[in-house]
Amino acid sequence: MTYSHSLATSQRRFVANNQNTTKFRANEAALGPVSNTIILIVLACVLGLLYLTQVTKTNAYGYKINALTTQASDLQQEHDELEVASARLQALDRVKNSTVAKSLVQATPAGTLSN
Amino acid sequence: MAIFGIRLFYLQIIRHDYYKKTALSGQLKQYEIVADRGVIEAHDGDSVVPIVLNEKRYTLFADPKYIKKTEEVADKIQKVIGGNQSDIEKKLKSDTRYAILAKKLPKDKKDALDKLDLKGVGTREEAIRTYPQGDLAAQLLGFVDDEGTGKYGLEQALNKELKGTPGQLKAITDAQGVPLVANTDNIVTQPKSGDRVLLTVDVSMQRQVEDLLKSGLDSAKSKSGSAIIMDPYTGAIKAMANYPTYSPAEFYKVEDGETFNNAAVSSPLEVGSIMKPLTAAAALNQGVVSPGTTYYDPSFYQIGDAKVTNIEEDGGAGTRSVADILEMSLNTGATWLLMQMGGGEVNQKARETWHDYMVNHYRFSKATGIEQGYEADGSVPDPNDGFGLNIQYANTSFGQGMTATPLQMGAALSSVINGGTYYRPHLVDKTTDGQGKVHDHKPEVLQSNVVSGQVSGEMQTLMKGVVDKNYALYGFKERPSTYLVGGKTGTAEITKPGGGYYEDRFNGTFMGFVGGDKPEYVIVVRVNEPGIKGYAGSKAAAPIFTSLTNMLINNFNVTPKS
Repeated sequence: MTYSHSLATSQRRFVANNQNTTKFRANEAALGPVSNTIILIVLACVLGLLYLTQVTKTNAYGYKINALTTQASDLQQEHDELEVASARLQALDRVKNSTVAKSLVQATPAGTLSN
Repeated sequence: MAIFGIRLFYLQIIRHDYYKKTALSGQLKQYEIVADRGVIEAHDGDSVVPIVLNEKRYTLFADPKYIKKTEEVADKIQKVIGGNQSDIEKKLKSDTRYAILAKKLPKDKKDALDKLDLKGVGTREEAIRTYPQGDLAAQLLGFVDDEGTGKYGLEQALNKELKGTPGQLKAITDAQGVPLVANTDNIVTQPKSGDRVLLTVDVSMQRQVEDLLKSGLDSAKSKSGSAIIMDPYTGAIKAMANYPTYSPAEFYKVEDGETFNNAAVSSPLEVGSIMKPLTAAAALNQGVVSPGTTYYDPSFYQIGDAKVTNIEEDGGAGTRSVADILEMSLNTGATWLLMQMGGGEVNQKARETWHDYMVNHYRFSKATGIEQGYEADGSVPDPNDGFGLNIQYANTSFGQGMTATPLQMGAALSSVINGGTYYRPHLVDKTTDGQGKVHDHKPEVLQSNVVSGQVSGEMQTLMKGVVDKNYALYGFKERPSTYLVGGKTGTAEITKPGGGYYEDRFNGTFMGFVGGDKPEYVIVVRVNEPGIKGYAGSKAAAPIFTSLTNMLINNFNVTPKS
């Protein structure tokens, strides 16, 4: 007895007379190896593109950050230069030698110990 | 496929390190971000003004390897930075990879050079110190050298605090050097700026002290000197001037390195008779004499082989008081005070007691710890080790044979007249760190009970008596009546390098105070080797003290007696 004959016999053993038998088996649509490879390549490309998009986007922020940093640095430098200019304009020697100061008249202080 | 695979394996696995290194050498940017050095400010009455700021300047450099048309490039550069075109051309032809063409260029010139877009030519940013008040307080401030290190004065003493902490950048960059933020290995640490320092000094007072010191030195025909004004109740320095001075922005032009020193703190001298008030205070504090004590002064004391004498004008032998010792500046009187500390003679007890006062009460031979580079300790002889100890100690009682800086003298006098508390002399009022946190520098007590409160009051009266008696000699028009003015002159002999003293060379000193009901300012003046006739203390240093006293009364609201 072949194996398949034996299997049919054993299946038949559980089937009563006049009873229809139904075989439930799904139709499996299996992909071939070429399709699988293509899908994997497409997926890899999509993921790669996604990665590149994100990296490019992030690096684009880097340029913005760099531009803003440069701008902040320039403004800070401008501020520092103005601070120096302001301090120089208010320097004692400059005030002392100014036209306004030169036109002032010396007053004798009262109640001091003149020498 | 197999060949491709093998080649890929070779390039990506076996040669991985090599290619990674090669790629990073072009892409990886790694350098230190220099921190801004802290700004220094000072008081100007009720407001605060900057006296040391930072400015960005640029160094212009070239890599001659990349420059082909040197004449054309030199011409373009010369039109922007000025100078000699042939010099620039010579540098562009030099056998180096880094030729410095110009230093400390302002930003407008840097921008103009950038616009030229010259291959092989670049600029490097550097921060330099700038001084809006010019040479004001130069020795007190010090300067910053080309390596960014503080030298002399405050810049040296507070270099660590002023310098800040540098930041760090390590990043993969694009071709233009912009960091690619997507790289997770990037390291960016922001620098922390140095502390912003507010000094106790008043710029207006400082300027006037410098002017009056210069004028006084000219009148005394002296080439150098110092003056200090300090608050006796806190140790805060209000002004500290030296002459000759220099411009810290052009420190490289100074030929004599000694000019950099703040002589008021770094150059000790035998102070002369301004020591006598401190000797008197020590004797009073021990209770061995009182202000009313009198004694017979023989006009000289023989101590061992040496003789202590007075100046001729002091009138010879006679009965003298403690007040006379100061008013007449008696060397024999100071020696007599020392004798009283030893029970009637200059002996071991007298030496040890006086040594204790000099070193532990008045803190001589110890640096005060003021925020200055190269502060000197001064010297006090050991009371029990050496030759001729008794005459050595007799000399110290009137300010010879020991050395102290003008600052040490000012701090010691402050402790004697303020009730007996020695405050550390200091120049820093506040510091603000990089995060904006303010640190107040409160007065620091180094020694309590220098003298008792009673002795402190007695010393004010005794020193006032000196000025009341000698006001005309010191240059006052009238005896101070509405203000409390006290002081003491000193004319100190100068030691010869091989030992002994010059007979015709002296330093003049003056130490005193001005106030109303209590002293408000302590003043110390030093005049080195005046060229005029007369005693250096009264003829050269005292007039400067008088000028400074008048300046404080006229311009800085010294409160009159109530």
